[in-house]
Amino acid sequence: MFNLEPSITEWRRQMLAAGIQTPVPLEELESHLREEIERQTKSGLSAQQAFGIAAEQIGQAPELKREFKKIGAPMEMQKIIKLAGVICAGFALFCPLFMFLPFLLAHELNLMTKMLGLAVYATIIATIVLSWEYNQKLLPAIHNQLLRRAVGIVCYAGCLLWIRFVLFHLPAGVLHTRNIFLVLFIFGLECTAIAILGGIGHGLEKAAREKSAPMDLSASQS
Amino acid sequence: MIRKELVAASAEPLILSLLAKGESYGYAIIQEIKARSDGKLNWTDGMLYPVLHRMEHRGLIKSRWGESETGRKRKYYSLKKDGKTAMARHHEQWSLVHSVLAGLKKEQMFRKG
Repeated sequence: MFNLEPSITEWRRQMLAAGIQTPVPLEELESHLREEIERQTKSGLSAQQAFGIAAEQIGQAPELKREFKKIGAPMEMQKIIKLAGVICAGFALFCPLFMFLPFLLAHELNLMTKMLGLAVYATIIATIVLSWEYNQKLLPAIHNQLLRRAVGIVCYAGCLLWIRFVLFHLPAGVLHTRNIFLVLFIFGLECTAIAILGGIGHGLEKAAREKSAPMDLSASQS
Repeated sequence: MIRKELVAASAEPLILSLLAKGESYGYAIIQEIKARSDGKLNWTDGMLYPVLHRMEHRGLIKSRWGESETGRKRKYYSLKKDGKTAMARHHEQWSLVHSVLAGLKKEQMFRKG
């Protein structure tokens, strides 16, 4: 004799085994399944027939899993990726400030020199902000989630290594020239590169969302 | 049978337009699409949810968990401001395609007549 609840439990087990996660989206799919079973039984079908039709209409777990994978990282992971990018951009924005500020406040420098320094810093800020806002237009849409995250992690690792081994170790030749503009320019350039590199992870997520692979609503039902 | 590319392309504007009428949930959205299209827009029910989740990720819609009349948990979706903008853009684009097709069809009928 057919028993509905054990059948639904078994359906859940198959969904979980195929990689459909709980609570999102499995709870929502189960809610839909139950509503369809209720509708079918109200129209005169037996519980067994209703369950069969409803499960078929929900679709096969592997195909659902494939479509959910196209969406991209879960919201929580996307927030973490964005936060990592914000930290890199924030570091890149504030780090040169500590170099530029004494430069701008130095009494021996004339106004024109200071304005030039300010213009360089403003250019750095503008480049960092624009790259954060629009980098997804230049980045490819990597739909493979694992590959996309791997590229993002490599970029973050590159940022950290750059900060550790390159940023605060300007070439001896540059320091020898005692040309403050050259020092500020190279330092500013490196900070901009760090911000751009650090924003790649977030940019790849945005690119994958915006240029996402088409969803397949008509996947075979059996 | 409607080509699956057209079914996929029309999903977002249809969902946005339905949600513009008010908050709804997945099952009701599917039933309304089927009813309005006389069953010709035959979505696999479960496939609606990746579409809804992607639209939520993109900030077009938002969701909240609620309860049905019988106490069953239900996820309700509603339109966000970016969703209204996206819907207006979809309407503009679909109207353009429709008007070009309608114009060409009219010309063909005129030539036949």
